[in-house]
Amino acid sequence: MIQLKAVEKTYRTDTIETTALNGIDLNVAKGEFLSIMGPSGCGKSTLLNIIGLLDTPTRGEVLIGGQQTTQLSDKQLARFRNQQLGFIFQSFHLINDLRVLDNVELPLLYRNVSARERAELSKEALAKVGLGNRMKHFPSQLSGGQKQRVAIARAIVGQPAIVLADEPTGNLDSAMGNEIMDLLLQLNEQDGATIVMVTHDELMARKTHRLVRLFDGAQVNDHYLKNAYA
Amino acid sequence: MFKHLFKLIWNKKKQNALLITEMFISFLVIFAVSTMAVYAYRNYRQPMGLEYADVWVVNYQPPANIRTLDSVYGFQEALRREVKAMPAVLDVTYSGNNVPFSMNSSNSTLSTDDKRRANANFYTVEEAYPGVLGMKMKSGRWVTKSDLVSNVPAVVINARLEEALFDGTDAVGRYVHTDMEKLKVVGVVENAKEKGAYQVVESGMYRHLDSNAARWTGTMLLKMKPGTGASFESGLFRTLSDRIGSSIEIEHLDEKLASKNRLSLVPMIILFVVGGFLVINVALGLFGVLWYNISKRRGEIGLRRAVGASGASVSRQLVQEALFLATLALLIGLFFAVQFPILHVFDLPSSVYVAAIGLSVAFIYILVFLCALYPGRQAAAIYPAVALHEE
Amino acid sequence: MLKNYFKTAIAVLRRRKFFTFISLFGIAFTLTIVTVLAAFVDNTVSANYPEVHRDRSLYITLLKQENTKDQGQWNSPASFYYLDKYVSTLKTPEKVAISSFFNPTNAYRNGRKLAVNLKYTNAPFWEVMQFDFIEGKPFTEQQVANGERVAVISEDTKRDYFGNAASVAGQTIEVDNQAYRVSGVVKSVPVTMPIAHADMYVPYTVSKADYRQPTLMGNYTAVLLGRSEADLPAMQAEYAAVVARVKPEAKGFDVFKSNADPYLSSFLRNSPFGDTDDGGVGRAMMAGALILLLFMLLPALNLVNINISRIMERSSEIGVRKAFGASGHTLVGQFIVENLILTFLGCCIGILVSFVAIQVINGAGLINNIHLTINGTVLGFSLIACVVFGLLSGVYPAWRMSRLQVVQALKDR
Repeated sequence: MIQLKAVEKTYRTDTIETTALNGIDLNVAKGEFLSIMGPSGCGKSTLLNIIGLLDTPTRGEVLIGGQQTTQLSDKQLARFRNQQLGFIFQSFHLINDLRVLDNVELPLLYRNVSARERAELSKEALAKVGLGNRMKHFPSQLSGGQKQRVAIARAIVGQPAIVLADEPTGNLDSAMGNEIMDLLLQLNEQDGATIVMVTHDELMARKTHRLVRLFDGAQVNDHYLKNAYA
Repeated sequence: MFKHLFKLIWNKKKQNALLITEMFISFLVIFAVSTMAVYAYRNYRQPMGLEYADVWVVNYQPPANIRTLDSVYGFQEALRREVKAMPAVLDVTYSGNNVPFSMNSSNSTLSTDDKRRANANFYTVEEAYPGVLGMKMKSGRWVTKSDLVSNVPAVVINARLEEALFDGTDAVGRYVHTDMEKLKVVGVVENAKEKGAYQVVESGMYRHLDSNAARWTGTMLLKMKPGTGASFESGLFRTLSDRIGSSIEIEHLDEKLASKNRLSLVPMIILFVVGGFLVINVALGLFGVLWYNISKRRGEIGLRRAVGASGASVSRQLVQEALFLATLALLIGLFFAVQFPILHVFDLPSSVYVAAIGLSVAFIYILVFLCALYPGRQAAAIYPAVALHEE
Repeated sequence: MLKNYFKTAIAVLRRRKFFTFISLFGIAFTLTIVTVLAAFVDNTVSANYPEVHRDRSLYITLLKQENTKDQGQWNSPASFYYLDKYVSTLKTPEKVAISSFFNPTNAYRNGRKLAVNLKYTNAPFWEVMQFDFIEGKPFTEQQVANGERVAVISEDTKRDYFGNAASVAGQTIEVDNQAYRVSGVVKSVPVTMPIAHADMYVPYTVSKADYRQPTLMGNYTAVLLGRSEADLPAMQAEYAAVVARVKPEAKGFDVFKSNADPYLSSFLRNSPFGDTDDGGVGRAMMAGALILLLFMLLPALNLVNINISRIMERSSEIGVRKAFGASGHTLVGQFIVENLILTFLGCCIGILVSFVAIQVINGAGLINNIHLTINGTVLGFSLIACVVFGLLSGVYPAWRMSRLQVVQALKDR
């Protein structure tokens, strides 16, 4: 599903060049739930950005669903993200001035889906995350866990093949974190979504199929866990 | 997408209310300025209706020692003969003091048999008056001295007054009334812009100088040969001074027009300068606030990019938002602006207001569009990977 | 505390230079317009050359005859006969200047034409008005009585008629087909001072019209000079008593009115503001203040918008201040002071620009011989406008700022 070949990423300022990723090779199969761990600044967020086509590698190739992505234009990238990828962030990134339902239907808005269909799909997605009764609320009226559920609903409303989660439980207490984790697992099992998750939390990572550890921009460890996907 | 924008703006109505108020007041300012400009331009486009080149005006104090009617007539006729005999003078007429482009005016209300009423300037003229000023008849004839003996005094009205009192049907042979007397219209003359090139044509009624008015008349209009210079003028001045005996003054109609035009233009220029500065001020402010809002919404913009909006569509969205705000402001503005033509607030033709409204709406849209363009571009340049990880 | 505010204000100004530029531009431009306007009003209203004694002068510019039955009204300046008979004879004024409104007439010189505004005056006119004589001297009481054809001309007239001649006193000038001997040359007066303005001043006794004609209405005005400002009420009372005795002369008219007013009210009395006790000065000032406020509304609103953006940007600072015990009131105070500092800075720029603008206006000769200046009165007025503007644009954002929730504010950034 996702193929990274010798991906390198360097940031250059006036004086120094920092290497964020150094020759990453990674294959993620369809339906796999992969977690990425590593200390702060090891390049995990950069990796996720590159998989999410929000950032381009300095060298190397990124193929998603067999499609070469490095040559795509801004417009093509936007369409690709819209149809193939769903994002979940540590700090939710909900639009505070829009109600929950309007937040969830955002990806469909860039897809020319009729208003009624948008509303239906969004309601379905919200029901799936257990927030069917919060559609008319504003994000500021929700708890952290509820906000993240909205974000998940937004990530899956367009039924993308891949969901990318950047420390989805990082801003939540453990009970709420577990709830969110269960939701992601359920999403993976029932809907067959491929999920790539960056996390700091060993316990959460242990629940996924496969764990990749990064250190200083390089892959140091890659092993399949006991609950591995067959 | 439109509904989405509306929700976004509606849910932020408190912040947006101030921006909308600012655009609304800007609209009113532009509306006021463009109403004046459109009105002045419309008037400017009207034909002058009179020839002012080489026409001189002589103002004098009517000599105090000439009292009786006969002596007044005698004095005026002798003076006319003497002036007309001068080689540079083509024609001469006496007139009331409200000659074209002067600061004097004399007006009153006229009514028709069926009680239509209109306010009109009253001009005291002679037979030679339209010839001196190059005015053209529309129908009928000009007033003559022989009209003075008829029971019902004869008058000429201009086309504007004909329109106002008789809906443009031929007024010749019909009657108009002042408070005191009944008058017969014997001719209709084409409109002349007697208040200046940028001023509206006013209704006018022309009546022959009679024995009442003659005693107080102190104005002569002279049509000169083109190119008559100051040396002739000083001779003329001397002759007139000697004959009349009181203080006199000679003016040139083209100079009077120029100073009258300046009087209309100077306030307009001041208004344009002040309005222009206000607009620059508002534009800078709008630009600043929109720009600032982009930086406040980096997270939202990053997210939109992540869920599949292209840079161009984000930039388009922000410009659309601004234009949408402008539309709301303009709707409020239009509500007030349309009251002017509906209630006839300043007695200007509705078409002036309509044109001014059109201009102001276009102006505000263009202004807002330009102010939003650059911030929109900035938004498109936001790097989603960076914006989403700023916390 | 104030020093602290000042420091914060300067720091905020330096943070977002573009916003600072916009704010300062708006304030400076608004203040420039207000200052230039104030300078113009001050120039026309206050006691400038040559009417330096306005504070102890009263003006009689208008007579009114009314027909209360038919609502008829006849307004006109007075005749020389009226002023000579009823006003020169008043006991309380020290001196009475009588002069006509200026009459336009012509002069011809070397094949060129000159438009000359001619004014007929009496001799005390030269004592009531403090003209600067560039050369020569005014005509005397004796010369007026003798009907001598002598003239005082303005500097402009001297230049236009005589060219670059060094001295013209004693020379002959021919205006309105009459030869006059130049008695003196004075610094020119702008047309915005209609009582003093003229291109040439000659004795009323040489007027071509009959100045002895026994009628009320005419073309003359009078200026009554008191010994001090305290004399003015007595002068007004004495004139009122005289006016009460005068009968209207026009047929059917039954009321005669005239007032001796201070300069400003003598003009406003005949305007739509008119006929209150103070001659409409109060109402005119109200109207002026209202127009000024409306004019300042848009720039103020603009500043409010920018200020609110700025406040939102500083929400974390506000959160911290609140967390450490600043009350809403303190914050409102802080922000208003900050905004006043900003406004004041803009005002300083505005006043500097006004100086330039006024030089340009004076130089461009928009109105001949007008010389606008920024004096203490104008500066004071600009300062008041500055404070009003600062409050107008600062109060609402300050209120919004004080209402920010601590938690929200701290979380926002």
